[in-house]
Amino acid sequence: MSNIKIKSKNLNVYYGDKQALFDVNLDLNEKEVTALIGPSGCGKSTFIRCINRMNDVIDICKVTGNIEMDGMNINDKDLDVVSLRERVGMVFQKPNPFPKSIYDNISYGPKIHGKGETKSELDQIVENSLKKSALWEEVKDRLDEPGTSLSGGQQQRLCIARAISVNPEVILMDEPCSALDPIATAKIEELIDELKKTYTIVIVTHSMAQAVRVSQKTGFFHLGKLIEVGKTEKIFKNPDNKMTQDYITGRFG
Amino acid sequence: MTKEERLKKRHRAEKRFRFYGLTSIFVALLFVVILVQNIFSKGSSAFKKTVITTEVFFDQELLEIQNGASEEEIMEADFYDIMIENLIKAYPAKDRDEEDELLKLFSGDAEIEIKKAFLNDNNLIGKTITLDLTASDDIDQLHKGNYPRDLPEERRRISDFQLVIYDYFVENKKISKNFNNYFFNNGDSRDPELAGIGGALVGSFYSILICLLLAFPVAVLASIYLEEFAPKNKITDFIEININNLAAVPSIVYGLLALQILLATIQLPRSTPLVAGITLALMTLPRIIIPCRASLKAVPPSIREGALAVGASKFQSVFHHVVPLALPGTLSGTIIGLAQALGETAPLILIGMVAFVVDIPSSPVDPSSSLPVQVYLWSESAERGFVEKTSATIMMLLSFLIVMNFIAVYLRQKFEKRWN
Repeated sequence: MSNIKIKSKNLNVYYGDKQALFDVNLDLNEKEVTALIGPSGCGKSTFIRCINRMNDVIDICKVTGNIEMDGMNINDKDLDVVSLRERVGMVFQKPNPFPKSIYDNISYGPKIHGKGETKSELDQIVENSLKKSALWEEVKDRLDEPGTSLSGGQQQRLCIARAISVNPEVILMDEPCSALDPIATAKIEELIDELKKTYTIVIVTHSMAQAVRVSQKTGFFHLGKLIEVGKTEKIFKNPDNKMTQDYITGRFG
Repeated sequence: MTKEERLKKRHRAEKRFRFYGLTSIFVALLFVVILVQNIFSKGSSAFKKTVITTEVFFDQELLEIQNGASEEEIMEADFYDIMIENLIKAYPAKDRDEEDELLKLFSGDAEIEIKKAFLNDNNLIGKTITLDLTASDDIDQLHKGNYPRDLPEERRRISDFQLVIYDYFVENKKISKNFNNYFFNNGDSRDPELAGIGGALVGSFYSILICLLLAFPVAVLASIYLEEFAPKNKITDFIEININNLAAVPSIVYGLLALQILLATIQLPRSTPLVAGITLALMTLPRIIIPCRASLKAVPPSIREGALAVGASKFQSVFHHVVPLALPGTLSGTIIGLAQALGETAPLILIGMVAFVVDIPSSPVDPSSSLPVQVYLWSESAERGFVEKTSATIMMLLSFLIVMNFIAVYLRQKFEKRWN
């Protein structure tokens, strides 16, 4: 059994009067991929956005309960979100490279965190990040071209490289393949497999097949509640809960 | 109705709509053409002025200065006698009355024009040179064909005898049309042939500059704060509604405000580009904030999230990513706001820019006119010469507006395309 990296206890999230998460207790293991599945609007994305405090952006959002990373309370009002997000990177549903060059896309994070003081250090970070995200070979000769000129799959790998560039401990992925074709999806999945050696990964996905392929642990959400969580194999072969069973067999959702 | 009939009906409806659309575009274009044609036909002659070619002899006896006189001496010297002596020789007049009528064919600046020739070359004493002296307004308009000469004499400003002289000039090719430098270099004047938009141009320039310096930073910072940082609550909503309301406030209200506060209370100098600039800035502020906020809003939220997710602070995500992306829209909104301010007349009339100002302002605190106010002033003048001046000023104003709008469109297209 690996170490627990992130631990949520009785996590509740409200958007105004509407409650989006109900008493979620979920542990994420270090250097493992945890997949979160469930029908749209069930709170998977809300949950991962609690881990890097992305919900702060939404004025009406209120989070109660506990969520800890290595024993540090993420929900602490006094916590510096900038340093939290340096440790917890995120990749979004739609690739969102900055409308800048490929190089600037990746060097931006290290620059604002004061990593890579010199040009050569920065160059090294950019190269390493691109290599880790398996994009280096494709773009090494055109680092000054705009990131938006890449294909969708490449853009998403660029976003992964951007997340890696600040050397985080956790990477959150919010349906990273939903805007990609099957070939690009396969590449991202291979990449996730590789990345889990270094990082703790949480991936939200609508594809059961993807959850089975990439994750070791799976959590099933429904209407803001964590219905069931366990080893991926167990969830998909022999779930305890009837709702889980119905969902993975396509009877609802 | 059968399926075929319904289909036909649908096609007819579409055709009808296309026809309406084309008709409205045609009507709109027709009005533009009529407007432009009207202004051009009236105004284009103002860019030329009529000159009478005259021989000028610099008689030592009539001048109290010597060859090689300094600039100061020349400026102080009296050239009146030289002018009279030379002008009356332009046509063989028989008596004093005829000479007077002859002199009236020249502009009131003939003396200054002769003096300028001497300033250019201070060794002219004892020599004769040929000068193109500006003709009076009446001759100018007559020569341009704007003045009817078949009216009975008592209803004409030009006497029969003056017509005889004019015909003599035409016959001897002594009268011609030159580029009208006065129109661009001079300030306002009671004499149409000497009046120019120089003062109005400089006044407008200073006003717009002050308007830009005040309105742009305030508007941009206000929009960034409201759009990116302000909490979404009732107060923000209230501010937003009021900004939209302010953009719709009639401009004359800003003029009244400026009259009361800037002129009566703070006692800033009346009729100056400084006050005009502040007034226009007040008026332009909401008109810049609205497009600025729109272009900030147009930046996709995913860019902000992307920046925040790598650990940028709110401030960094806004100023490193959102603002640069919104800049083209912001700039073009600003330019369009300034173009509106440039054409604004009503508030400037209230703060006294409607005064008759001959001198070209040398700083924003000198009394001055502005282009649209100059149009208003001249359109009320009785002299025929001001009709073409009015239209020509409108042409200048319109060309500035077109250039500004063109720059706005260019900025938006060039920089927004770059990454897509």
